[in-house]
Amino acid sequence: MDKQEFYQRLAEILDVEEVKPENVLKDFDGWDSLAILSLLAMADAKYGVSVKAEEIRAVVTAEDLARLIEAKRK
Amino acid sequence: MKCTFKHKRISSIIAVAPSQEYRFDDEYANFKMTEAQARRFKKMMSLDRHRIAPPDVCASDLCLFGVHRLLEAGVLKKEEISAIVFISQTPDYILPPTSNVIHGKLGLGHDVICLDINQGCAGFLVGLQQAFMLLEIPAVTKVLLLTGDTGSKQMTRENRINYPINGDAGAATVIERCSEEKTIYMDIKNDGSRYKALMIPGGGYRMPSSVETLKLREVEEGVVKCLEHVDMDGAAIFNFTMDDIPPQIEEVLSFSGETRDSIQYFFLHQPNPFIVTQMTQKMKIPQEKVPNNVVSLYGNCSSTTIPLNIALNAAELMLAGTRRVCLSGFGVGLTWVSAVMDLGPLDFCKLVDYEPTGSHA
Repeated sequence: MDKQEFYQRLAEILDVEEVKPENVLKDFDGWDSLAILSLLAMADAKYGVSVKAEEIRAVVTAEDLARLIEAKRK
Repeated sequence: MKCTFKHKRISSIIAVAPSQEYRFDDEYANFKMTEAQARRFKKMMSLDRHRIAPPDVCASDLCLFGVHRLLEAGVLKKEEISAIVFISQTPDYILPPTSNVIHGKLGLGHDVICLDINQGCAGFLVGLQQAFMLLEIPAVTKVLLLTGDTGSKQMTRENRINYPINGDAGAATVIERCSEEKTIYMDIKNDGSRYKALMIPGGGYRMPSSVETLKLREVEEGVVKCLEHVDMDGAAIFNFTMDDIPPQIEEVLSFSGETRDSIQYFFLHQPNPFIVTQMTQKMKIPQEKVPNNVVSLYGNCSSTTIPLNIALNAAELMLAGTRRVCLSGFGVGLTWVSAVMDLGPLDFCKLVDYEPTGSHA
């Protein structure tokens, strides 16, 4: 998985310029149920994995999120 | 569970929407959305407007209005109605069944089967299956399948999750026998272990109506509801639509010997345009085969999205000839049903606005 591309997609969902791996997801203004829905869709459409909302809510940073999706791809 | 039916067809469809139309741009302040949030939400969900029934109009009124138009048009005669199947989550009363109330209002004879089914977004397909089974009874001539919901009565207008996408509507569909074999292929699946993903917890007999169940609370920003209002786990429903529906559609296509190329139309239930797009992209179905404008123009009207979709987007085609179509409904239960069948030529296919007659009670 191309991490840079993943953070760019995440930035689009959160409506910000850039997302860094260490950024805490909850700190973004755009981190809401719509963002989570967009993430579920992105995980399915771009990475072919089914992620549950609880799994997304359980992660803290953008990097944790990338790891979650990567782990599911294996 | 797979099943097939032969010598049966849909002959008429009428969808009925309340005339009261509301625009998202005029409503988003009720959901405590900022302009920026509203813009983002509107874009992602392709929201524009929806139809909401006035307080004194029930689902059965919308359905009955449609039945009268069919009778006036001469495509249905009262004496041909052998069964009324009413599919709704917003019946007139807890008892009697609304199908009986409709039977009485139509002034039908006693040799009629009346059946209420508590179903939601899979309701049109569940109702079709019932209609096909009823037509196995030799004495049954035509089945009147009535789907309708006034979901707006199961939520407040201050609910950003459910209200902006909700639409109220009803439909009447006539199913009858035909001389051609025309095999219909269906697959029906249920998973009751996930029933909590979409429910109204209070007001039944597990949690009877009380002052407590009627107490309104702001459960999260922009979501005011009580225990007698609809409660949806949006993410769980999204997972359901992406994980369970595409495999079923692929299964029913192969069961019927069809492919996504040989099917001319996919009339799918429309929870919101976003889900329909995601689902069909996943299945690599060309978007032009999947009309997806019902929620943007009318709202998610539960079991009526499929007949309304057909009447809104394909009436002329369906009156003129036959199309090989795939239908799929999925939702509350959880229940999901998909079918491949020939549709058309229909005797009647129209979408109309409801006009009150002043005789609801």
